Amino acid sequence: MTLVQNFPFFSIIIAMFSGILSSVLNSRQARNVSLAAILITTAMSGAVLGYCLGTGESYTYMMGHFPAPWGNEIRAGVLEGLTALLFGIVMLLSVVGGMKHTFEDVEASKINLFFIMIDLMLSSLLALIYTNDLFTAYVFVEINTIAGCGLIMIRQKGRSFGAAIRYMIMSQLGSGLFLIGLTLLYDVTGHLLMSPAKEAVAAIEAAGNYEIPMLVILAVISVGLAIKSGLYPFHSWIPDTYGYATPTASAILSGLVSKGYLFLLIKIFYRVLGQENVIASRIVNVLFLFGLAGMIMGSVHAILEWDTRRMIAYSSVAQIGYIYMGIGLGTQAGMVAAVFHMFTHSATKALLFISAVGLYEVSGGKKDFVSLRGAGNRNPLAGVGFTVGALSMVGFPMLSGFISKLLFATSALQSPHKMMFTIIGLAVSTILNAVYFLRLVITLYARPKKKESLREAYGSEGDAREAGKQEERVKKACESEGDARAGKEVGNRKETNEAGNENAAGEQLGKQHISWGLGTAICGFILLNLFLGMMSQPVVQAIANGLAMFD
Amino acid sequence: MRGNIVLLLPILFPAAAGILVLIGKGFGANRNKLVGVVFLALAVSAAFTGLALAKGGSVTLWQLTEYVEIEFRVDKIAGLFAALTTAIWLLVGIYSFSYMVHEREEYQFFGWYLIVLGVLIGLDFSANLITFYVCYELMTLTSLPLVLHERTKEAVMAGLKYLFYSVAGAFLALFGIFFLASVCPLLDFTPGGVITREMIRGKEGFCLMAVCCMLIGFGTKAGMFPLHGWLPTAHPVAPAPASAVLSGVITKSGVLALIRVVYFITGPNLLRGTWVQQVWLLLTLLTVFMGSMLAYKEKVLKKRLAYSTVSQVSYILFGLSLLEPVAFIGALAHVVFHSLVKNALFLAAGAVIFQTGWIRVSQMKGLGKVMPVMLSCYTLVSLSLVGIPPTSGFISKWYLAQGALASGTGAWTWAGPAVLLISALLTAGYLLPLAIDGFFPGSGFDETELASRKLLGKEPSWQMLIPVLVLTAGAVAFGCFPEPFINLLKGIGETVF
Amino acid sequence: MAAHLLYNIEETVAVVLFGIGFTMLLLHRNLIKKIMGMNIMDTAVYLFLAAKGYIRGRMVPIVVDGITDAEAYINPVPSGLVLTGIVVSVSTTALMLALTIRLYERYHSLDLDQILMQAKKEEPS
Repeated sequence: MTLVQNFPFFSIIIAMFSGILSSVLNSRQARNVSLAAILITTAMSGAVLGYCLGTGESYTYMMGHFPAPWGNEIRAGVLEGLTALLFGIVMLLSVVGGMKHTFEDVEASKINLFFIMIDLMLSSLLALIYTNDLFTAYVFVEINTIAGCGLIMIRQKGRSFGAAIRYMIMSQLGSGLFLIGLTLLYDVTGHLLMSPAKEAVAAIEAAGNYEIPMLVILAVISVGLAIKSGLYPFHSWIPDTYGYATPTASAILSGLVSKGYLFLLIKIFYRVLGQENVIASRIVNVLFLFGLAGMIMGSVHAILEWDTRRMIAYSSVAQIGYIYMGIGLGTQAGMVAAVFHMFTHSATKALLFISAVGLYEVSGGKKDFVSLRGAGNRNPLAGVGFTVGALSMVGFPMLSGFISKLLFATSALQSPHKMMFTIIGLAVSTILNAVYFLRLVITLYARPKKKESLREAYGSEGDAREAGKQEERVKKACESEGDARAGKEVGNRKETNEAGNENAAGEQLGKQHISWGLGTAICGFILLNLFLGMMSQPVVQAIANGLAMFD
Repeated sequence: MRGNIVLLLPILFPAAAGILVLIGKGFGANRNKLVGVVFLALAVSAAFTGLALAKGGSVTLWQLTEYVEIEFRVDKIAGLFAALTTAIWLLVGIYSFSYMVHEREEYQFFGWYLIVLGVLIGLDFSANLITFYVCYELMTLTSLPLVLHERTKEAVMAGLKYLFYSVAGAFLALFGIFFLASVCPLLDFTPGGVITREMIRGKEGFCLMAVCCMLIGFGTKAGMFPLHGWLPTAHPVAPAPASAVLSGVITKSGVLALIRVVYFITGPNLLRGTWVQQVWLLLTLLTVFMGSMLAYKEKVLKKRLAYSTVSQVSYILFGLSLLEPVAFIGALAHVVFHSLVKNALFLAAGAVIFQTGWIRVSQMKGLGKVMPVMLSCYTLVSLSLVGIPPTSGFISKWYLAQGALASGTGAWTWAGPAVLLISALLTAGYLLPLAIDGFFPGSGFDETELASRKLLGKEPSWQMLIPVLVLTAGAVAFGCFPEPFINLLKGIGETVF
Repeated sequence: MAAHLLYNIEETVAVVLFGIGFTMLLLHRNLIKKIMGMNIMDTAVYLFLAAKGYIRGRMVPIVVDGITDAEAYINPVPSGLVLTGIVVSVSTTALMLALTIRLYERYHSLDLDQILMQAKKEEPS
């Protein structure tokens, strides 16, 4: 056994212990420990990926050297390594990008708690990726839920609490279903380790026993994890949760947490229940339909939303729909597309949340369309970041979203019954995506208001009205919150308005706000996106290899 | 990366120069520096394009997915379009040095202007459908700032409309591409088509549907009927040079897309006589007629010219949809001639706005007293667009009509030329009154008002005049001496059919 | 059917309890009742697990006077799982109760709909 083979276990433990350590440190130390932990685990995941690519096969790691039916196991292969690596990168960039806001949004005494939650989140995500044991998976699902809830409620606002309790309730429904599914499975197979459980399932299938219980198990586990990852009809918690958490938390929750559950679901499909059984049951069709519904309805909700942050959150509903649609196609190519879209979405959605923060900073903290006019000029880097993210979501070529769509469409052509639905669904959803994302992108580069040149005499009236309304709104928000920061920003805005030359003043305002962390994170995410969009070939190859290794 | 790297120069150089201009914010307050750099960049790009065309060959950048590579190659069509694009870009560039004085934040215009040039050359050189699609989307994106330049509410709405039409069209086309990619993973452009009847056996219906999607989707950029609405909205709000290239060159990229799809991917034989051809013929003729009618009714000059573009580009598409060698030559000739004429018309309209601020046709009585040279050019190119011999429009329309008569497409053989004729009359009806009123305002016309605004004899600067003169000369010269050019086009036609 | 249900009385009860807990968690507006529902749901699962591990006529695997035959003991794994599960459930319950206290302090209500509505009113965006 080489050293690299220990890395999955090490990375889980390092993340967990850094969380425990952080509880006695002050906020800055906790931040450093947390960043170091993420860096180390990411490097380790990279090493694991390299090792698995080198040997070309997966390996299991026995915890405490107890052999199969009794011990607890970790399993690492190409897909696990790749997912862990990507999750690590996204997490690092999200934490770095939202750092300034973390320190602003969170009470000073609670910042180390925030980093504990980050560490726990990392640890549980890694455990979800690597584990080979169903009950361990359940325990880490719960840890993940608690850490996620902590990340939401750490911003001590009423709506964050409301969002947190809703998140908690929906998550508990999901984990309850998942747990009863596991218990039933244990009842039928007598195993909790994935490999022996799969053998038992295969024996049961061969004997033709327990058809109905197996179907129930499959349904309950799928629905449980679908609730937790926010598939369409169970999506009600998403907009509040992503909309009112602190930016890092939003990016991590939407980019990684839901993907962790999806990864677990895919792993259970392949490693426990057997992909052919899953396809043979009609559950995939149900997932496919819900996925399609999510793709359309998520976008429709997003269009109706005027708060841009909630809009991005609703777009997540649509994107999760894509992933379930890919799973629901029931082909190898569909699954590859789904996994690739998982990566695309975690890279892109985190980019959107993080760069949106940069735009809110220069718009007085407001998140509506009117306030964001011209924000792209005031904070150019965030503007570019948001544009890249939005274009990737819409599926412009050279960006990762395009490759996802290409993979979805080509895989759809292989399953004749679902081809038309998929193609039409993709087309409609793409157009809807374009409607709300591109509208926002154009808004970002529109001229803020007032002082129109002579030729647009009639356009200016409406603009002036809008400007007036917006100022009132800012004032109201300031009064009701009584928040010193908001007050300062209103002051800033007034100054800018009085100064007349909006752009120049805005740029100054922007410059003083751009933190190095945000800049690095946005650049990193853009590079990640371009990488997935242009060099997708090795990634797709690795996903296909990894899925093949699951069997 | 392998192949002839010289091909990348005309793509990357203008793009890099444009990015430099954007980042450098136009190099401070010194306008001459900006103009100098932009002119130099345009000239060098033109030289690079010439070099690339002379060298030829192909270059492969990298593997996008398993089958798809990003690859550029020079063939005759690519050469034609690239040469046209570069020449127009240089001329319009010179014009805008003078015109853009009255716009704010010029450097943004020039930066994006250069970037679009690079993308367009990339589009022309694309060697397979996926590369083409990548460049096509990039072109939509990078040309958007040109429409958006003024950043007013109107401009933003127009930009949104442009974007939505383009995106909707592009994705419609994309699903066609997806289908074709599943039938034939290597979508390399090959004269005469890569898709054979064996490949689509049993899926003919789907294949035709996919091609139809692509025709309508790519037809968006060319302003073909169901998705033509962006043209008349986007043109009036953009600065004149931008509307000139939008109308003269960027609509032609839609034409190039259709040429590539029909003649280089599916092949004309696959479509001949199918319902797709019928639909396409119907759509193009409808667009030709409708565009002319709308232009005839329109009062604002730039909008009128935009509708005229809708109509005239569909002449080209009509020629393509006949799937017939003579009409194909006519279509390619009209690509070049329309590009010259429409750029000249828009630049003239821009000069009027620049010097007088007039935007409606009714305001322009007595224009001949203000800028006689410009108006003469306008009149000449108008005549060319109508198709009066010996100007160039006559040549292309002659070939189009000949092709239609020889095409053997049933009722279309006579309906096509009839619609073309009616549309030519309408073209005369909407373009020439301006020239007549301009030179001969009638007895009741009072010159004192013009004199009081000091407009008499106020010809625009040489930077604005010379490009228009060159374009006009081109439009007339090609009509007088069409032989070498038509021979070149015949050479292209022979490879395809 | 009825005889089967009666024979597997523990499982039957567990599933019924799970249903009750799930519905409470999903449908009740009162936060405390939701938490109770969650606990009932979890408990149902533990009952199910424990019932699976129990084998009639055998004893708990606690070694008192030397190991007798392995056949003499019940399956210990589910018991271990139940213990783990209880720990998990206690921590989530604690977290939810803490959240409920915070919400009650702020809005003086345990009704989730009312709380969310008030929150919306206080912070429009």
